[in-house]
Amino acid sequence: MSTRVLICDDSKIARKQLTRILPTDWDVEVEYAEHGQEALDILSSSVFDILFLDLNMPVKDGYETLEALQSFTQSPAVIVVSGDVQPKAIERVKNMGAVAFHKKPAEADELRALLISLELFSADQNENHTNTHVVTAAEQFSLNECLQEISNIAMGRAASVLANMLNVFIKLPVPKVNILEVGELQMALDYSVKEDSCSAVSQGFVGSGIAFEALLIFSDSSFPDMAELLGVTEEITRELETELLMDVSSVLVGPFMQAIGKQLNIDFSHSHPVLLGQHVKIKDIINAKRTTWKRTLAVEIVYEVENYQINCDLMLLFTEDSVATLENLLSFLAEDE
Amino acid sequence: MKESEGLADFHWMFDMLHHIDVGLVVLNTKYEIQLWNSFMENHSGVSSSIAKQQSLLTLFPDLDASWLRQKLDNVFGLKTPIFISWEQRPNLFPFKSYRPITGVSDKMYQNVAIRPISEPDGSIKHLCLVVYDVTDIAVNKTALSTANARLQRLTKALSK
Repeated sequence: MSTRVLICDDSKIARKQLTRILPTDWDVEVEYAEHGQEALDILSSSVFDILFLDLNMPVKDGYETLEALQSFTQSPAVIVVSGDVQPKAIERVKNMGAVAFHKKPAEADELRALLISLELFSADQNENHTNTHVVTAAEQFSLNECLQEISNIAMGRAASVLANMLNVFIKLPVPKVNILEVGELQMALDYSVKEDSCSAVSQGFVGSGIAFEALLIFSDSSFPDMAELLGVTEEITRELETELLMDVSSVLVGPFMQAIGKQLNIDFSHSHPVLLGQHVKIKDIINAKRTTWKRTLAVEIVYEVENYQINCDLMLLFTEDSVATLENLLSFLAEDE
Repeated sequence: MKESEGLADFHWMFDMLHHIDVGLVVLNTKYEIQLWNSFMENHSGVSSSIAKQQSLLTLFPDLDASWLRQKLDNVFGLKTPIFISWEQRPNLFPFKSYRPITGVSDKMYQNVAIRPISEPDGSIKHLCLVVYDVTDIAVNKTALSTANARLQRLTKALSK
């Protein structure tokens, strides 16, 4: 009898990638769910052996799904596959009943070794078996899906660096990808930064025909907690605030960009980060009257630190002429995996 | 032991020059590109493997060739560095600004220094172009002059 596997991930690319790297000599029957609730619905009506579970998903995330599974009488072995590689995330899912954690994107050899070590798969069981789950190459991915997935992975890496440095847990949302016009960008910023005043740092990146800015916006009420987190006890002056901003933005943007560059295989040149404003209104950060661009491709990620009042919004703003190049590059990426 | 140390030095030096946030180009006497660092690669979109051995003047056909040739020849002939300010040629290389979204300029303003590179025997067979991004300085200075001019006009109008 074949092993029944359920893959739960909101990203189509991630589902496809994982399917591709399952051992080829493994007799499996694969089904898919796009979020935790869908997985739970499927699992409550039929029995599966293994569930590959992503953590950051809409509707019901991985943690909520694990929690709900605890009340199931017959639940599958859960392997969490996530870009969120923070030690606390790994510890948390294991405490909630996951048998293993695997970083994303997973590699075939590593996954094989993991499955063997968990005794979920033995290599000699069906030596001549060829896979039944052939994924059609015609599957198309939109630019948004690709960008969302690579941002997801990059976001996890960045959070892990920060979490290690500060020994905290960073809450990761699903990145939002949109094409925005000048006014819409202001509205989007206005919406995500709910406070009156904020501070922002921007750093430019360029490489292989792709140009974008990484814009990091902190709400001003984050400063006291940010200082506490970084172990700063002195009185918070303007200079100290700048230092906190620069430090946190280096730590957040650096590993994120490294992960993006690695996935796209581009060694980006980057400018020195520029302080766009301190204690300013969000709408003044982007001067709508003086801009010459019309539209931008924006990836928005809202980082939150658990138990701290720290809110920061990371926006990757791609220029319009980068979109075609990016599309081209990402389509290769989706094909190759 | 010494040789491997030398190799490590070379590796550092190369990594540093390749990734520094300044454009570096080395040309021979035929204006053919011998070195093209990552700043030049990333901002021009032309990779080092394509740029190498091509003439700088053919790689950028929009450059004012006779003007630039004269500058380069001067450096070879006089064995002295010469400088091109953003105030005389705002965008020698057609690069875009680093911060196209939150910045004010969509072009990169550049200061360019052209320096002779001497061989061990003192002769000059190569020269180096150093390209600095001075967009922020240029934008600020332009804004300041505009504001000053406006102030002057206002003062005149008031004193009448």
